[in-house]
Amino acid sequence: MKRNKGKLNTTEKEFLFEFTAGKQRYALTVPLQFPMQENVSDLHGRLMLLHKMPCFIENDLKSALSSFIERETIQDYDRDAELALQRLSKGEVDTDQLANAWARAYSETTLEHARPEEASWDEDFADVYHELIHSPASDTLLNLEHNYFLSISELISERDMELKKHQERQVVEMDKVMQELGNTVSDQDVNVMASQHFAAQQVLENKWANELKQVTGIQKQEYQEWVIKLHEDLQNPNNSKINEEIKVQPSQLTEPQESGDRRFEEQRQLEESFTIHLGAQLKTMHNLRLVRADVLDFCKHRRHGSGGVKLRRLQTALSLYSSSLCGLVLLVDNRVNSYRGIKRDFATVSKECTDFHFPRLEEQLEMVQQVVLYARAQRSSKQREQPEVPRNGAGEDKAKNLERNPSNILPGEFYITRHSNLSEVHVVFHLCVDDNVRLGNITARDPAIMGLRNILKVCCTHDVTTITIPLLLVHDMSEEMTIPWCLKRAELVFKCVKGFMMEMASWDGGISRTVQFLVPQSISEEMFYQLSTMLPQIFRVSSTLTLTSKR
Amino acid sequence: MHPLMDAQLGAFTFFASSLPHDVCGSNGLPLTPNSIKILGRFQILKTITHPRLCQYVDISRGKHERLVVVAEHYESSLNDFHKQGSPVSPEKVLQIAYEALEGLEFMNKHGMVHRAIAPHNILMDCKGNVKLAKFGLYHMTDHGADVDFPIGYPSYLAPEVIAQGSFHPSDPSHREAPLPSGPKTDVWSLGLLLLELCVGRHLLQSIDISERLKFILTLGCMDDIITVLAEEHGCLERVKELPENVLALLRKCLTFSPSKRPTPAELLRDPVLEGVARLYTPFVKPVGLFSSSLRCAHLELPDDISELCKDDGDDYLAERSIDEVYYLWCLAGGDLEKELTNKGIIQSKPPVCTLPNFLLEDGESFGQGRDRSFLLDDTTVTLSLCQLKNRLKDVAGEVYFPLLEDEQSSLPHSISSNELSAAVTLPLIIRERDTEYQLLRIVLFDRLLQAYPFKKNQVWREARVDIPPLLRGLAWAALLGVEGDIQAKYDAIDKDTPIPTDRQIEVDIPRCHQYDELLSSPQGHVKFRRVLKAWVVSHPDLVYWQGLDSLCAPFLYLNFNNEALAYACMSAFIPKYLYNFFLKDNSHVIQEYLTVFSQMIAFHDPELSNHLNEIGFIPDLYAIPWFLTMFTHVFPLHKIFHLWDTLVLGNSSFPFCIGVAILQQLRDRLLANGFNECILLFSDLPEIDIEGCVHESINLFCWTPKSATYRQHAQPPKTPSDNNGFSKASSCFSPDFQDLPKSDWSREPLKLSDLKGEVSPRISVEDFIDLCELSGPAHFKTPTKRTKSGKPKILALDIRSSEDFNRGHVPGSINIPCSTASGPDGELVQTAVTSTLLGFRGRVIVVISHVMKNASMFTAHLVKANYPRVCILDGGINKMKPTGLLTVPSPQI
Repeated sequence: MKRNKGKLNTTEKEFLFEFTAGKQRYALTVPLQFPMQENVSDLHGRLMLLHKMPCFIENDLKSALSSFIERETIQDYDRDAELALQRLSKGEVDTDQLANAWARAYSETTLEHARPEEASWDEDFADVYHELIHSPASDTLLNLEHNYFLSISELISERDMELKKHQERQVVEMDKVMQELGNTVSDQDVNVMASQHFAAQQVLENKWANELKQVTGIQKQEYQEWVIKLHEDLQNPNNSKINEEIKVQPSQLTEPQESGDRRFEEQRQLEESFTIHLGAQLKTMHNLRLVRADVLDFCKHRRHGSGGVKLRRLQTALSLYSSSLCGLVLLVDNRVNSYRGIKRDFATVSKECTDFHFPRLEEQLEMVQQVVLYARAQRSSKQREQPEVPRNGAGEDKAKNLERNPSNILPGEFYITRHSNLSEVHVVFHLCVDDNVRLGNITARDPAIMGLRNILKVCCTHDVTTITIPLLLVHDMSEEMTIPWCLKRAELVFKCVKGFMMEMASWDGGISRTVQFLVPQSISEEMFYQLSTMLPQIFRVSSTLTLTSKR
Repeated sequence: MHPLMDAQLGAFTFFASSLPHDVCGSNGLPLTPNSIKILGRFQILKTITHPRLCQYVDISRGKHERLVVVAEHYESSLNDFHKQGSPVSPEKVLQIAYEALEGLEFMNKHGMVHRAIAPHNILMDCKGNVKLAKFGLYHMTDHGADVDFPIGYPSYLAPEVIAQGSFHPSDPSHREAPLPSGPKTDVWSLGLLLLELCVGRHLLQSIDISERLKFILTLGCMDDIITVLAEEHGCLERVKELPENVLALLRKCLTFSPSKRPTPAELLRDPVLEGVARLYTPFVKPVGLFSSSLRCAHLELPDDISELCKDDGDDYLAERSIDEVYYLWCLAGGDLEKELTNKGIIQSKPPVCTLPNFLLEDGESFGQGRDRSFLLDDTTVTLSLCQLKNRLKDVAGEVYFPLLEDEQSSLPHSISSNELSAAVTLPLIIRERDTEYQLLRIVLFDRLLQAYPFKKNQVWREARVDIPPLLRGLAWAALLGVEGDIQAKYDAIDKDTPIPTDRQIEVDIPRCHQYDELLSSPQGHVKFRRVLKAWVVSHPDLVYWQGLDSLCAPFLYLNFNNEALAYACMSAFIPKYLYNFFLKDNSHVIQEYLTVFSQMIAFHDPELSNHLNEIGFIPDLYAIPWFLTMFTHVFPLHKIFHLWDTLVLGNSSFPFCIGVAILQQLRDRLLANGFNECILLFSDLPEIDIEGCVHESINLFCWTPKSATYRQHAQPPKTPSDNNGFSKASSCFSPDFQDLPKSDWSREPLKLSDLKGEVSPRISVEDFIDLCELSGPAHFKTPTKRTKSGKPKILALDIRSSEDFNRGHVPGSINIPCSTASGPDGELVQTAVTSTLLGFRGRVIVVISHVMKNASMFTAHLVKANYPRVCILDGGINKMKPTGLLTVPSPQI
């Protein structure tokens, strides 16, 4: 990529300077490289020094030297320019192609010559929403969102109820049949029944899924139309009715507090905060937080709205189109879907509330799948162009893996989804990890760690200022994860993240960030405190400000 | 830089092209972002000052490789003629041509090519003179290599530029950048532009770009390009009416073959412009501060002095230079990005909408649409000075013209400035952000520096208050006593021939203050290398030690466009504060320095000293980088500036006090911790409050007797021969101890091992007499009188036996015989001493004895018992005897 310019055609030219000292005539010849890189006065000073030139020729030499260089440089320019024109007239370069390249360069990079922008609904909506949420109307918006959320919640609980009832009915039926097994009913009948049950279950689930989809679709459309209308109304100054409405509303809405539930939840969450300084000379301040919680706690809305929840919702809504986004790293397997494990749980959470701004999760995932395929195609075509020596066995392994299924992703790669309906998160980084992360011996060169680095880089380029990272690179604990394993893993991730954060300072000029390290819920309190004592040993915690000093 | 006058400040913005993800440079370090490269290359443009060129003022980096350039700006441009729609008169065309060529010639002399000539880039000031704008774009972007967009406008591109092709980042088939354009390309562009003026309409604008470019290329086959162009646009008639000299000029400019086309310099001297040329006088660069020629040589005062005041307007601000006005504009709350956003030039999408979908392991991203807000919109936005003028509307006119001869006070006595003088008591950080205060200081320093070295003493006095950041580079140079034709001296140093140190310099530079944009730019590296090499080459007795790079950094940063000054400042700084630190074998110098430093810790903070000695945390472990780099290795630049603002005023022993002040800020943590924690703490020094540190070190300095920091390896006093009246520095607090003439009562050098054995510093008899305010013999040279308050109070403690004491002692001294004060094991008997010393808290205790060993042991005990400010009289009572100041108490009756 590094363009080697000018280096190919350096030419050496001889500078000749004649002068007389007394009756002697002297000539000074100096070979000079063109194009000239160095400063004329430096060259002059060096010549004077090196050849022990008498001081009375100093000025003559200087003027001769600079005019020589000027002349020769112009000649070089002329030669190059004429060559370029000749190439054109001889037909070595295609005029059309040349002109088109220029035209493209202009149209793709300058506003003056670019094609006019097609109006984008998303961005217009983003502007409108951002303006409204920062106005007194925000309360109305949030209430509306909350009401929509409640209706979806109702629907979901209805669904759960029906599914549960259905299942119970099936169990009863099945029990009945099992009792009759051997008498009137054969094994085959049981199998038929089981499959019937399964099919019925599927039908029911699909029905509900469709209904949900429909309702959310309607909600989204209603909401967006309403937001646009509200904006138009607000722009119209003599329409005071809406303003009144907005002003009145907040007082009406005081929600019942359900403190018991909340207290219980907060007890389970352990967290500790640190303020740190990074950098050798110029220090930047960042906030770190160590949190013991379930990863989906950052996504779930508490079902029963309370003051804190509403504030959190407002916070998330305010910053949605701002330049301080919140991100979350979710560890996923190599398939882009939402059928299994944490992906399924996440998908469930994301459906609990309508996303009024971005496409539904499934649509986003479909998009990602297409992009993955495109990326693979790009990559392989590039590799065919410049065949590289395969680096090691692992690389070949990877390649094979890809050939089998190009839509799968590899460890260290990640896809990004955007959400407006999660409680504390706007952006989710789905980082692909494999079973290696469960082993104890991963290094700083592990793909998962490199993935973290790239995630932080995206955070830099796209203003994600709060990021939550699973510290142990797992979401659930299992038996092989002993205390030493945890400590070793935590140290590795702390240190790597510290390194990346220092690197980030050079990418974005040291913007203050918040990094939350997440440890699984199932970890012991003792372990948590061990980790929290480890953190200040790795990061330099800022000194406390003493207001009173002894001296 | 020339005054603002009727000009305005303009800002425009563009994006540097982003680097490919995760590519390393040849040295294994990450590549420098293109925006930083541009920022570095931009700096030189600030020095290109010519009446035909728009002065560049500043560049700033925004998020995501955005750059905002600030330059002189005018609202009217050649486009205004096109709006009128009628042809411009031939005389006017010739004038425009001549003036534009003047600007171009000056640029070419500095190795620059415009490349972006277009009607809207040729501005007109109020008198209708040409000002070329955006002339530095091609230079700062490395001939367009660091930006995605092509430089220049399609209609005005010269044929050879088109033929050499465009480089476009998204086009993989075209990897090689086109060759840089020469000065003659501008002549073509100018020619086309002049032709447009003559016919009164835009040419070639109506057809699409690729057709337009092809058309320009086909002009090569035509005999008469002007006729072809005119026919194409149906204005042949107008061309035919043009006078012959205008036509000749156009023909010369629009010569298809570059080798036959004249350069701007040739064209200026061409007979066709002879008539216009007579009206202009060539531009002479004003003489700078450091030059061999006389600055006032061409000063001509009118016979009647009052004539000078005649044309004074009310707008004094406009008479300040552009960079000052811009600096004040920023202080008054100016925000470049906000101005550009308000005008719709910066349009940013919410980041959540531009996220990519998918990233590969190597960091390549996919699924990210091209963001339209990254396209180039090079409209220049005028920065409104209203806010600034409003802010300064109450500032009296006298502030702009302070009287320097008023020895009473530097601040003019007007009502508004009384408020300003109250500002002096505010914290420095606030003063540096205060618009009115900075205006006052800048005006004052600007005047004083213009009168340098004549007004050197006043510079010193004002610098004690504070130094305005805008003029810090020059102010430091004045404080360090830089004089003479530094540029010629610097030019004469060979900075190119390879030397063995090159490799080390090459390794150190990319690790030195690289968080800073300027110093991390390739231009910064080049300058770093040259200044360091110049220093190494011209100091053959000294060598390059790691740390010299850090020492160079603040000077280079402040004098980025003046390497010679940076070099001169550094060469003046090092002998003053770091004399012989850069010897090949510097161990004796450093060892002595560190020993004195630990004595200073014991002197000021015995408790801390005891703790550090106990855990073995000696200065050798942490303080070498502090002193070898004068703290530049441990602090970021903005802190170094505040620290050095005071340091350059102090003498060579001031750094000790800074060191102690730093330790005191970390006192609690040091006292609470053992060796390992202390090592860890200092490996990455925590944040230090610099203003507090400066205050504390001044305070410590005042408590330190001058001779306590005596070092035999310090810079020897200057021989009177180079004291030509001016160069004798009047230091802030007191003249350098080392500068004082040596006398019998000065301190005598001590062997290093002996020095190390003593916990407390010694002070000289001379110093002692001064501090005790004993009247010395007439020939005794007392150093400059300090004010009474600034002088530490002293307690002379005689530890000889009481018989000896009674035979003669220093007046005012008290006697605690060594034998009674110390127990059987040499332990200090607490009660005996404390009861006596309790009454003299806070005084400097000078221990007097006739055996130095006794005194040093006694002081060691005092320090152990946490007595602060203990020192020993050098030479003891024996040295006092010849002064004749001893008294014998009258026998008690």
